Amino acid sequence: MHIPNAVLDPQVTIATGVLGIAGLAYSLRAVDKQLGERTTVLMGTMSAFVFAAQMVNFTLGPLGVSGHLLGGVLSAVMLGPWAGAVVIAAVLIVQCLLFGDGGLTALGANFFNMGLIGSVVGYAIYAPIRRAVGGRAGVLIGATLAAWLSVILAAGAFSLELSAFNHRADFLRVLSLMTLVHAAIGVGEALITGLVLRFILLTRPDLIYEPDADPTRIPLANSFQAAAAGLAIALAIGIFLAPFASEYPDGLDFVGKTLGFITNDAAVPVSLPVLIPDYQFPGLASLSLKWATAAAGLVGTLVVFAVGLSLARIISRPAPKGSPDAA
Amino acid sequence: MRLDFFERHSNDDAPLQRLDARIKLLATIAYVILVVATPIGAWNILAAEALLLAFLIGLSGVPPRDLALRWVGFLLLFGFLTLAVAPSRPESVHFGLPLVALIILAKDSLAFLGTLLLVQVTPFRSLLIGMRKLGVPATLVATLHFMYRYLFVLTEELDRMITSRRARTFHPSGRLDWGLLTGLLGILFLRAFERAERVHAAMLSRGWDGTIRTLD
Repeated sequence: MHIPNAVLDPQVTIATGVLGIAGLAYSLRAVDKQLGERTTVLMGTMSAFVFAAQMVNFTLGPLGVSGHLLGGVLSAVMLGPWAGAVVIAAVLIVQCLLFGDGGLTALGANFFNMGLIGSVVGYAIYAPIRRAVGGRAGVLIGATLAAWLSVILAAGAFSLELSAFNHRADFLRVLSLMTLVHAAIGVGEALITGLVLRFILLTRPDLIYEPDADPTRIPLANSFQAAAAGLAIALAIGIFLAPFASEYPDGLDFVGKTLGFITNDAAVPVSLPVLIPDYQFPGLASLSLKWATAAAGLVGTLVVFAVGLSLARIISRPAPKGSPDAA
Repeated sequence: MRLDFFERHSNDDAPLQRLDARIKLLATIAYVILVVATPIGAWNILAAEALLLAFLIGLSGVPPRDLALRWVGFLLLFGFLTLAVAPSRPESVHFGLPLVALIILAKDSLAFLGTLLLVQVTPFRSLLIGMRKLGVPATLVATLHFMYRYLFVLTEELDRMITSRRARTFHPSGRLDWGLLTGLLGILFLRAFERAERVHAAMLSRGWDGTIRTLD
């Protein structure tokens, strides 16, 4: 998901660059107010950990999709949303400068997709769920759901960036393809995030970020946070349903894109539409794509919820709301 | 050590290595923006940019083979994305699909190699000090300092853990399964954090107040 240099439109590059820098500046200010001199050591270590963890690839069984941890939600759960975003920013900067992974001019877009959406939006989803469920189970269920949804939202943002100006007509198709692939990758992210967090909860639960224990935290009204979470979840669901709003006729370029995206990114064989002239069977490819995307959304949600729930069940019965066990 | 390839030539005594890190950083950013902004079809400009980069690589004394190897890896990773993007460029009507894909790939490669050259001729530490002098917030630069330090420690720790795990279990595929994977990551995480706590305590006892002080 690291965007290289010459892929995005200039307008998108500038817009995401400005957004990324503004978001990073805000995150840094929030972190400075929040934790003091201890933060940089922790954030540096967390960045190094996320970097090392990203080197470990996992395969998603029969799907043939290979992915790795993105770590946005994990670092937000451990250090809070703003410090989490700074951690991802550091990871992206090092990957870009030292390894050429992700373009220098696409840093803003990459940070927006993985840092701001991954950590800040991810945390906005995680925090209300955690509070509602309570205890360690709340941490696990909230984090797995947030991890999955943040990957979906990042995929949605990437589709938007990719097709914002040049090929608006293709947006919904790019979106559904990206969503399909990332519904699977997101399940991996959710699983790893949940399992690593379970390990931490069993060994050092005191390391989990506790907003209420932080006297100088940025005041975020509960209702505001709940609204943000609701909005993020609605957007994520909207991404799955978006293909149904598609009214555009199929074009040959779509077939090219289908091939380009799918054969290389996900290895899902859908070569069938190429053989059929698209004007004879309008909507065939997009119809199946629509259903596949929606099904992926449904199945993914259920799987991730089951993962969170079973992880939570292994670890403990849900503790009562606001109990000291919630640490 | 599997991460040391970018530190091999950065301390050499060569003209590019002697330059101030700030100049190199700004020049690299300018070069990448220039390459990305080159319109499709402007062959002269693209060729000039490639020549400039080739000249700088020659000047740096970095073996072209090192860069070429990384470049092949880059092509494998990002080639598909270029192919996916090319059909929707408006220029592809005029120039044809393969050509446009090739140009996008060429621009990407120049930007990639330009960025790699920067770290090949500048120690990352100097680069960070240069960033700080250019006004990048102290918290971010300090985080990057710490990250760079622990990067090697943690990846080597991970390597050791994977090696010892393989030595103890028969694993035909060489791939790690899920249980192993998350156990590995969980332990790595704990070790990283506990190391951070120890290091932080040690730093506090030596007067750490949150600012990184350097001699240069």
